[in-house]
Amino acid sequence: MKEILFRLDNVWKTYKMMGKGVETNALRGVSVQVKKGEYVAIIGPSGSGKSTLMHVMGCLDSPNKGRVFVDGKETSTLSEDDLARIRRRKIGFVFQSYNLIQGLTAAENVALPMRLDGVGKKDALKKAEKYLLRVGLKERLTHKPNQMSGGEQQRVAIARSLINDPEAILGDEPTGNLDTKSGMSVISLLEELNKKEKKTVVIVTHDSRLAARADREIHIKDGNIDQDRTNHNHNK
Amino acid sequence: MLDLAVKDLKEHKVRTVLTTLGVIIAITAIVSLGSVSAGINEMVTESQSIVGSDVIFVMKSFDMSDMSGPPTSFELESIKEEEIESIRSMSGVKRAVPIISKMLGGGFFEIDGIDMNEIDIFGAADIQFKEGGWPDNDDEGIAIGYPISQALDVGVGDYIVLNKKDVEVMGIFEEESGMYDMVALMPYSYAEDVFDMEGEATQLMIEPDDVSIVEDLKNAIEEDHQDLDAMTMADALAMAREMTDTLSIMTFGIGGVASLVAAIGIIITMYTSVLERRRQIGILKAVGAVRWVILKQILEESIIISLLGSLIGLGLSFFFVDMLNNVLLGGTELALITPTLAFGAVAYGVIITVVFSLYPAWIAVKTDPIDAIRNG
Repeated sequence: MKEILFRLDNVWKTYKMMGKGVETNALRGVSVQVKKGEYVAIIGPSGSGKSTLMHVMGCLDSPNKGRVFVDGKETSTLSEDDLARIRRRKIGFVFQSYNLIQGLTAAENVALPMRLDGVGKKDALKKAEKYLLRVGLKERLTHKPNQMSGGEQQRVAIARSLINDPEAILGDEPTGNLDTKSGMSVISLLEELNKKEKKTVVIVTHDSRLAARADREIHIKDGNIDQDRTNHNHNK
Repeated sequence: MLDLAVKDLKEHKVRTVLTTLGVIIAITAIVSLGSVSAGINEMVTESQSIVGSDVIFVMKSFDMSDMSGPPTSFELESIKEEEIESIRSMSGVKRAVPIISKMLGGGFFEIDGIDMNEIDIFGAADIQFKEGGWPDNDDEGIAIGYPISQALDVGVGDYIVLNKKDVEVMGIFEEESGMYDMVALMPYSYAEDVFDMEGEATQLMIEPDDVSIVEDLKNAIEEDHQDLDAMTMADALAMAREMTDTLSIMTFGIGGVASLVAAIGIIITMYTSVLERRRQIGILKAVGAVRWVILKQILEESIIISLLGSLIGLGLSFFFVDMLNNVLLGGTELALITPTLAFGAVAYGVIITVVFSLYPAWIAVKTDPIDAIRNG
């Protein structure tokens, strides 16, 4: 039996719309568990709450109700700074729009989570180079984000998510801004990290073909889990 | 993470330069204006150590309301010979030195006629000469401060005109003689002739037999001579301090307004900077930056701007003060940037900037990473 990395118990997340007292429930009592080393796709139409589910899982957002555990530790009661530390050490995020810092080079962007963890610039950059090499960007160390293609930027983002050797990589529509070819290379990279380095990979997507490649698909509809199924014969 | 702050400042050069300029102007204003009151303060303190603390000044009483026109055009009524003699004969008076004091050059410098053997009571005995020396009591000459010689363009052997009479310059004090820079001294007997004041004095300087009776003697003089005012060194210093305090309040008031304007510039800059950087702040938070890191980054930027602005402002002030002393005041040391003023101004610049950056920094800290990343 594999250890559980993420556990959500009856999680509710409510957003106030424009402060007008109108509330939307992005999550309505979701309970789900993700084991270490799993490759999970969260799929659903836009506005279904799939991104919110991932944000709550990844400690980027806190639930209004219910309990969240990461690696056995309850996070729903932690302070903002404690959540930041968990994001920094246990979770790597990859976003649809890459979210690199424009003024920094690829290596500096990758080194960022390590520098935030108190590692010196030199050591952090050295390790960043190693990870940029790992994602196939050894020619792009000193390039700024605007000098790179979307696919390259997303691979820099993946290198950044890896640098503190997290348990899990969470991708929010990681291929959403990419052409098919670059998208496939990003997905392959994530799959490789899952298979070879046993990283837990959770991606949010609205692309069913992409979801079908995962070990498990969690379908979200109107803030609830509509379907949770394991893919036995996925075509990779 | 200092490099991120520096990078950001470099990326927005115009904004950085303009904000820094605000700080520069504020600090230059504070230090330049403050240097004048600091310099006067220093001079007051200096005069205390030069002139003995037991000396009593006596002059004709005057009513402030009688003064018309600028204070420099104001001339005291003179003390008559009988009065001088009467004071001289009082018990407790060791010596009473009559002085004929005139303001010249629109109050810019002061001429004092005094017995050349008594100049120690004036604290002038230690003055060093650049050229020439003291006139003797029977000489028809004068010794002047270096800046006066520069302003009038005269040297030893040249003549200056006083009350339509030619007076020979016999000595020029060493440069930077402090409070004597703007003073000219001539023998009392000659001053009597030049200013038509036979046996009279504009003021008396009195040395008591003992320092312990200064206050008593002062009161006795005022009691005996209702039309005279006596002032001890302590009184004089208190008056001077009151004046410099007023000056300080004025200068720092102007500086305060300037720094408030600069501070508003900073708050706007930092606020804009935070808004423009919402996405970057969101990313930093998403990849695990704690609140302190975000706060620090904003504060680092403001510290860099304020330190840079304050130091440049301080440098400029040295330049302005030098100009003020040498060009406007003809080589005096009136304006003075003391270490306290310099450090104080820089510290003030940094502290006020940091304080005014707290609000924008707080906005940055409160940024919701999800919203910032999604909406920029």
